[in-house]
Amino acid sequence: MVENILSAFALLLDPIVFVAAIGGLVAGIMVGALPGLTATMAVAVLSPFTFFMDTMVGLPFLLGTYKGAIYGGSIPAILINTPGTAAAAATAADGNAMARAGKARLALQISLVASIIADLLATLVLIAVAAPLAAIAIRFGAPEFALLYVIALTLIAAVSGEDTIKGLIAATIGIAISLIGLDPMSGYQRFTFGSVQLVAGISLVPLLIGMFAISEIIVNAEESISGRRKGDAIDPNQGPRLTLARLKRLMPTILRSTGIGTGLGSLPGLGAEISCWISWGVAKRRSKNPEQFGRGSEEGVAAAEAGNNAVCPAALIPMLVFGIPGDTVTAVLLGAFMAQGLMPGPLLFTRDPVILYALFAFLLVSNVLLLMLGFAAIRYLQRIIQIPNGLLYPVVTVFCFAGAYAVNNNIYDIVVMMAGGIAGYVMRKISMPIPPLIIGLLLAPGLERSLRQSLVMSNGSLDIFVTRPGALTLVVLFAGFIAFLVWRTVRPYTQSTVTGETTS
Amino acid sequence: MRHLVLRLAAAARTAVIAFAAAGALAGAAAAQADDFPNKPIRFVTPYPPGGSHSLHAGIITTAAERHFGQPLISVIRDGGGGVVGTTEVAQSEPDGYTLLFGDPTINSLRPQVENLPFTTDSFVPVARINYAPAIFVVRSDGPFKTMDEMIAWAKEHPGELIYSSDNKNGWTYTVFELLKARTGANMRGVEFGGGGPAVSQLLGGNTMAYAGDISVVGEHIQSGSLIPLCVTDHQSMEALPDVPACPDIGYDVVFQFWRGVLAPAGTPKEIVAKLSDSFEKLMADEGFQRLIRTINSTIAFADHEEFARLWAKEIEDMKLIAQQTAK
Repeated sequence: MVENILSAFALLLDPIVFVAAIGGLVAGIMVGALPGLTATMAVAVLSPFTFFMDTMVGLPFLLGTYKGAIYGGSIPAILINTPGTAAAAATAADGNAMARAGKARLALQISLVASIIADLLATLVLIAVAAPLAAIAIRFGAPEFALLYVIALTLIAAVSGEDTIKGLIAATIGIAISLIGLDPMSGYQRFTFGSVQLVAGISLVPLLIGMFAISEIIVNAEESISGRRKGDAIDPNQGPRLTLARLKRLMPTILRSTGIGTGLGSLPGLGAEISCWISWGVAKRRSKNPEQFGRGSEEGVAAAEAGNNAVCPAALIPMLVFGIPGDTVTAVLLGAFMAQGLMPGPLLFTRDPVILYALFAFLLVSNVLLLMLGFAAIRYLQRIIQIPNGLLYPVVTVFCFAGAYAVNNNIYDIVVMMAGGIAGYVMRKISMPIPPLIIGLLLAPGLERSLRQSLVMSNGSLDIFVTRPGALTLVVLFAGFIAFLVWRTVRPYTQSTVTGETTS
Repeated sequence: MRHLVLRLAAAARTAVIAFAAAGALAGAAAAQADDFPNKPIRFVTPYPPGGSHSLHAGIITTAAERHFGQPLISVIRDGGGGVVGTTEVAQSEPDGYTLLFGDPTINSLRPQVENLPFTTDSFVPVARINYAPAIFVVRSDGPFKTMDEMIAWAKEHPGELIYSSDNKNGWTYTVFELLKARTGANMRGVEFGGGGPAVSQLLGGNTMAYAGDISVVGEHIQSGSLIPLCVTDHQSMEALPDVPACPDIGYDVVFQFWRGVLAPAGTPKEIVAKLSDSFEKLMADEGFQRLIRTINSTIAFADHEEFARLWAKEIEDMKLIAQQTAK
């Protein structure tokens, strides 16, 4: 093993590897930063070109693109409240509030550093315990997934803001939208009204661009027309920087989110889009200042970004150990590995250890590269916020249209985006929170699929959720968690009743 | 270093061509067979990136230009289990500039058992690239290790044998329906949506059997965690010579999963023949063959006439399956 690692590092010394990696990272950051262009798309478009490259040029290039794109999504989320990728949607809430308060640089720096720490730790987990972790993850059957989705749905309470009822309504709308399309089990068409376009369902990314970006643009236009627009943004160079003391305060949040992201990433099917919200919701519950979440909390940015970036290396675990991709990006990467003659699966670790360890070492080194690229980029990026809105938003609008179209090369997705934009605007006006809708949309298909699979397995009996050790553990944990929440909510009332009696 | 620069230059050139192509496609012009093709051809894969279809499409489109005189542009239009992309091709101009990368489930079976916006008559076959049988597999720590034992176990425990399936009317779904129809065994399939999740549920001990492509199960057979029972073909596979063909051990379950190119119905015969010839030349390309081998795949080319015969027979066979499985 030691000599494998040494020869692996020797492979990394070739400067071409670094050229390819930096090229991939830069391409990835740009793709991630443009709304609508996703990591999956970037890796899918670029991967055929790597078929002809050397293994240690092609794969670092693709892995760099993947990492860059997941990080890049947070940049427009912070600067213009428009998540570049679905995984950065949770970052927009706090990141943009910070930018509006003149702390754009600090928000960008927290996002970068949290991303890198999470990625680094998750990569170490991948290297050290990929095989045992994958062995646990693969025992997760449909009943465990169904329970996991139910637990994740409790997040709606955390992201609903003040008005839980409005949050629940929004979540229900999201769930209803997710039902459109083909039934995942039987293949019957649901709510398609005979339209071929609706058979594929409502695409997430165009809807997300509409809900967040287009509605933001409409709100801005309205404010500038009615003259309610606030003054120009504060010069970001005057704003605070990320200091070691600040970072130290954020470390518990980053570590917790890394754990969540790594755990979810190693389970096939739960991607960065869900992990960012779960990390954000958990951080809010554990925070001393939960009321700041959604209004510019530094912890919120750190939690969301650590949560989505930890998924990246973790998603490679099931792909490398079993040859089973956890999400669409790793599915494309799997193809690129195979085209290089590296067959991911149980035999990869014994058959090609040197290349594998070289790729692991590369994953660690690429974080250093991303850190340097990121800090260099932030110096210029923070100025975007000083561009007058009259110039900035038309350009963003063009990118939104191009991005929504590029997802599936489909004009219909632009209709989805516009509808999402109008809906998002209305929701802002009646102060109905948008995140619960997105979470409902993200979680409902997985919950439906795993619940129905479980019931097919058990022949319709609910016993399956308590007779399997994994599922039973989750049920007990969930019940304990709900009991704790109830106790914490009820306790202040009982105490105040007692004190009320003594004073009267 | 120079090597990389050259490669990147080639990549950039292809990208420029691709963008130019997208523009050229917008202004559609009536195609003439003799100057066909005079603009790039769209090669539509109806499944998501990362699966075996998109992998093959990536290789075909990368190596194609030299043999077609124009680039093939890989277009991935997934959704609805293949329905969206297939519908788009079925409804596009039949001029040879839009091709579908199809397979038996989306082109032969599902149009006969589901109400879809296209039928088997919506397409004309152009060329078959290759085909593969499904391999029936069970866990090595499970209660049965051969097909006979599995069927006997299923008959002793009716409804208790749970297997991993892919999609309703998908590949795995169909071969298990055939097996159940032939043996009368009562087994229950859980649809997991694709080969990846289906095999991971089998490996994790949540299901007891599966049938799928060698690219999905091959590694697990080699590592010993899965045992192959038989292949759904008339003879054993080259890669697994010891695994019998299902009919040879008494189970008449034959289903070949082909990957082939189809054009919208109404495409002129001369253009179909020309495309078929170009695909034949591509199959002989050394670089193409090398890339196909790296993904553990094979080539089993059939030109448009042979493919048409095979396909017509398969549509008939599928009619039988549709009747058998319609319970």
